[in-house]
Amino acid sequence: MIELNSLRCKYYEKIILENISLKIDTHLTVLGSNGSGKSTLAKALCNLIDYEGKISFDGKNIKDMSLKDRAKLISYIPTKLEVYDPYISVEEFVLLSRFAYKNNFFDYSQKDKKIVKNTLEFLKISHLKNHALSSLSSGEAQLILMAGALVQQSKIIILDEPTANLDPHNSKIIAQHIKGLKEYHQVILITHDLHLASFVDSPILFVKDTKTLFYENNFFKDDVLKKLYGVEFDSLAVKYE
Amino acid sequence: MSKYLVWFILFAVLAVSPFVGAISLDIMEIFKGDSLQSSIFFDLRIPRVVFAFSAGSILALSGLLFQTLFRNALMTPYTLGISSGAVLGAGLAIKLGLGSLVFGLSAISLFGFMGAILTIFLLIYLAKFLKNSHYESLLLLGIALSLFYTSVLMILFYMGSVMQNDILLRFTMGSLSVIGWTHPITVTIIAFILCFCIYMYRYELQLLNISDESATLRGVNTKKITLILLIVSSFAIGTLVSISGPIGFVGLVVPHIVSKLYPQTINKRIIKTALFGGFFLVFCDTLTRGLQTQSELPIGIITALIGGPFFIYLIITKNK
Repeated sequence: MIELNSLRCKYYEKIILENISLKIDTHLTVLGSNGSGKSTLAKALCNLIDYEGKISFDGKNIKDMSLKDRAKLISYIPTKLEVYDPYISVEEFVLLSRFAYKNNFFDYSQKDKKIVKNTLEFLKISHLKNHALSSLSSGEAQLILMAGALVQQSKIIILDEPTANLDPHNSKIIAQHIKGLKEYHQVILITHDLHLASFVDSPILFVKDTKTLFYENNFFKDDVLKKLYGVEFDSLAVKYE
Repeated sequence: MSKYLVWFILFAVLAVSPFVGAISLDIMEIFKGDSLQSSIFFDLRIPRVVFAFSAGSILALSGLLFQTLFRNALMTPYTLGISSGAVLGAGLAIKLGLGSLVFGLSAISLFGFMGAILTIFLLIYLAKFLKNSHYESLLLLGIALSLFYTSVLMILFYMGSVMQNDILLRFTMGSLSVIGWTHPITVTIIAFILCFCIYMYRYELQLLNISDESATLRGVNTKKITLILLIVSSFAIGTLVSISGPIGFVGLVVPHIVSKLYPQTINKRIIKTALFGGFFLVFCDTLTRGLQTQSELPIGIITALIGGPFFIYLIITKNK
């Protein structure tokens, strides 16, 4: 259970989110237009940015958790894989997601390596394991990031616009995997891809003008969409099956 | 294949290095015990090679460390003005005539050490005003500090006596000449400590070399690790520079060459960088002794002659 208590986030002097109080005990898809504060919300949940108010998981303030405990609880998949190291391989990168489980100063265990191997096989990307991370396409990079999140074995996975840079084919693959993630993880999906949102089929949190609106299961109705976006659902393009 | 050749050449140079110099040595004479040649070999040449090797390791490792922590190929203690800080400290000691020993250390070394440490803390403090991940500005801060220190040093020169200026000038050019084993042993121990600390944090560094955000999200306390490693390496650099004077560009050139020879992730390059740095500086030092000039060419000049153009090359190719 994630609990937000009068959350307030600023970007320099501009207020992005104001007085947000929520209880999230299920999967969630966060929608909203560009710049509405979706990513800010995600970054606050990961304690990556400063915020006022309180965020807690199962009653525990995230600011009081150790970094390793937090890593075991939440993993975050950014829109784009940004890597300074030009030489690190896919396998080495995914293994780094086991950092929170590793003993200080020691190497990664055989168990950690086994988990990485199985995850790469599960996502059907074993053939990439020796490739340099910097040489991957956006679609492959998104799968590698997802592998990292799985290997981290966190309770909660936050995905920040996973399909933003992908072509329709790769979007579909990612969409199916996200749906699969829901079985074992609490998935918080941030997107402005309405069809992805409807395919993943989680309750919707709509962010608008520093406030949030919650829709349990009645979001994808023409009147709601018309009010929020000014469009009808069927007028939107591609669909995921 | 080519990388083995590189290592072989460097190793060969290391092997002949103690025999190169103003006085040529005869192997048979060296082991005769009380001869002059023997004392040159064992009290000057061998300690010097050891000193050069350890100094090279410290410089190269610090370079690798700074480049990883700040994710910028141009970061080294030298380009960040830490070496200049040490020079200014040493310059002050010379100008004030503090030649005598303080707690078993020469005042010049102590002041040089303080200069380096104070500079790193000044940089850490100033970095707080920079927007996160804008480390290019940190580099500019370092360069600005360097220029400032140099101007203060110029004032010291201007006010100094001829003798003071001679000592100061020699110090600013860097030197690896040592007598006896005190300095080589000190610097070797420091090199081991530095290498050990960096190796301990190899996986944290591997994550930091991805991005700050990735490291944080996987459980690395980035601020703590950065601070620990910066302080350890500043102590190492501070001590080294206070003895040898500034030796520039090794930290820039060596990590880059090693990464070209071994395109691998950082934790597999730590030991290689330390060794290559050692070999590289012995190589440069052998050059200074081999080139028969009136007196021996200062090491800092050789490394700068190699490093200066290399620095330009790195800047030009950086955005490709």
